Amino acid sequence: MEAAISLSGVTKTFGKFTAVSSLELTVPKGLTFGLLGPNGAGKTTTIRMIMNITKPDSGSIRVLGQEMNEELQQRIGYLPEERGLYRKMKVVDQLLFLAEIKGVDRDTAMRRLGPWLDSMDLRPWINKKTEELSKGMQQKVQFLGTIVHDPEILILDEPFSGLDPINVILIKDFLSEFKKQGKTIVFSTHVMEYAEKLCDRIALLYRSKKLLDGTVREIKNLYRDRVPLPPPVEPEPELEKIFIKAVEESGLTAPSPEELR
Amino acid sequence: MNPKLIAIIKREYLQQIRTKAFWISTFLIPSIGLGMVFLQVAMSKTLVAKGKIGVVDLSGRLYDGLVAEYNKPTKDSTEKEKQPRLTQEKQKPPLATRMEFFKIEATKESLPGLRKKLNDDVQKEQIKAYIVLDENILENGVAEWRAQSVKADLVLRETVANLLSRVATKERLKDRGVDPEIYEKARMRIEIDPHEAKEVETESSKNAGFNLAVSGVFFFLIYISIFVYGAFIMRGVLEEKNNRIVEVLVSSVKPVHLMLGKIIGIGFVGLTQYAVWGVLASFMSLPAFAAMMGMADGVPSIPFLTIAAFVVFFLLGYFLYAALYAAVAAPFNTEQEAQQFVMVPAMILILASTTWFFAFNTPNGAVAVTLSFFPLTSPLLMFMRISVQPPPFWQIGVSIVLLLLAIWGMAWLAGRIYRVGILMYGKKPTVPEIFRWIREAD
Ligand SMILES: Nc1ncnc2c1ncn2[C@@H]1O[C@H](COP(=O)(O)OP(=O)(O)O)[C@@H](O)[C@H]1O
Ligand SMILES: [Mg+2]
Repeated sequence: MEAAISLSGVTKTFGKFTAVSSLELTVPKGLTFGLLGPNGAGKTTTIRMIMNITKPDSGSIRVLGQEMNEELQQRIGYLPEERGLYRKMKVVDQLLFLAEIKGVDRDTAMRRLGPWLDSMDLRPWINKKTEELSKGMQQKVQFLGTIVHDPEILILDEPFSGLDPINVILIKDFLSEFKKQGKTIVFSTHVMEYAEKLCDRIALLYRSKKLLDGTVREIKNLYRDRVPLPPPVEPEPELEKIFIKAVEESGLTAPSPEELR
Repeated sequence: MNPKLIAIIKREYLQQIRTKAFWISTFLIPSIGLGMVFLQVAMSKTLVAKGKIGVVDLSGRLYDGLVAEYNKPTKDSTEKEKQPRLTQEKQKPPLATRMEFFKIEATKESLPGLRKKLNDDVQKEQIKAYIVLDENILENGVAEWRAQSVKADLVLRETVANLLSRVATKERLKDRGVDPEIYEKARMRIEIDPHEAKEVETESSKNAGFNLAVSGVFFFLIYISIFVYGAFIMRGVLEEKNNRIVEVLVSSVKPVHLMLGKIIGIGFVGLTQYAVWGVLASFMSLPAFAAMMGMADGVPSIPFLTIAAFVVFFLLGYFLYAALYAAVAAPFNTEQEAQQFVMVPAMILILASTTWFFAFNTPNGAVAVTLSFFPLTSPLLMFMRISVQPPPFWQIGVSIVLLLLAIWGMAWLAGRIYRVGILMYGKKPTVPEIFRWIREAD
């Protein structure tokens, strides 16, 4: 299987502090890859180096077999951990601008955005300034900005942190949709539960080093004898599904801008 | 050009000209400029020599003449018509005076006893000052002036000195058997009518007054716009950092393009502002206005060289300081944090602006020449020199080359600081840390 992303011997220090140390990592094409680890493990630093935002001290990084370049940037959708939007810009201008700097012309971008704007209930808001939108709405706009150029690879740094529950579901759905389309997804998280549900492969970082790497199944087998199994649980409905059901049953539709004002 | 760079420039431009800050500065800057000019004119009109002045005339030769001289109607009004036009314009209007002289009876012997009372009167502001004219004043030419301060009242002192000089001259003529009236009639002042030493004079020498005003206005414009647009750049960089969009941006475009896009975009904002001012000025027909003020013959035009120098040095100065401001802003999170570092280039700029008089009075003097080569000051000083008296072309060339080199170096440096700095949130970095980024960012 061809690698979408490969790192070999990648090290990054900040002064005396080593944030990433001799990291070897391969993300195969078409899979969903989880970069796990507690805060400070080096996930963000690793991702920034993949994006060529931070330069590694040593080692080599390849994406789709190439060093990072402008053409490659256009094939990647990146949602940084530190994210935000221009507050004073209109939603539509903002999205078109984000498309433009990914090399997508405005017409194509507008055409592509259409169905998403509808399915995310953003249509009535597109001519509002971003700062007038609710936090949840802004999160949707941000995510749209990440995918507006229809990237082959999605790199998301802590995509679920700070999201409201509806948006967590929304993004999970998007991710499984992308996966079906054969796109490669890399995301970092310190919440193991998300990783377990979404990932084909995971790597565990801890204090700048990689401790584990493999498919979820492989890793589980490896530790089967050494980690106590959880007590068997009665199957019960997940809270998430309950939430969706409750919304459906309420018969209410998504709020319009006028209502939210 | 790179389409992404164009997208950045376009966004920057459109966003900026929609802000209140843009429109406020568009109308505020010319108002401040005009305000300063009017203030100067108004202030020069309020310069009045006034006050009650006691005169101790130990020589007994000057007091009566002084009072007579002071109360004499100014002869300028009667003689004006006879004078050629040019000198008329150049002549300063007579200063408004409101002085009152009174005689203090004293002798050499009684004076020391009187001084305490006189000094008291001065301190209590009963009188403005008193002068002591000793017996030998017609030989030694010095009058003692006693006032609260030896620094203040320059104009008043100068006026009194002029009056006394005239009276003393007449007295000395009398001593030599000449009728002072002859002096009164023969006295004249020669005005200098400046021309260029050329067969065919350029337009600029004919409208010296107007051109001087234009140079001043342009000089002020370069100076203030570098400040204003530098602040725009700084605020823009901090805004992208604070609303956390910058990392999204640098995953799509090179940080250096991001910086460049911002600088060029705001540069166009500046040009737009100038266009607005241009339209406003032609509406108010500034040149015609200037002509009416009697500064020039007919409706003058601004010399091409001045305009060219303005455009070139404004742009170069803008790019240099813009890169500097971008570099200074990038490591910080708030304007307050960045402000301390902005102080350094700002001080240099302010200092440069205060030296305009050197460039104006002695465009080829050591101060003006040195500063017109130093890149942080040359945009202002070289422009001033060119507009007053074009220096040799090699000097202009060297100045431009040095500026370009400085811009290149500054952009390189700023690019490195920018690249690392825009991702630094929270903690305020120290100067050694910033230097480490410059070394490490490759
Ligand atoms: N620019 C930087 N300067 C200094 N230290 C940094 C910098 N970026 C990250 N670090 C440090 O590197 C370590 C790893 O950070 P990070 O990659 O953000 O971890 P994670 O994303 O896994 O939480 C942290 O201890 C962090 O403080
Ligand atoms: Mg992180």
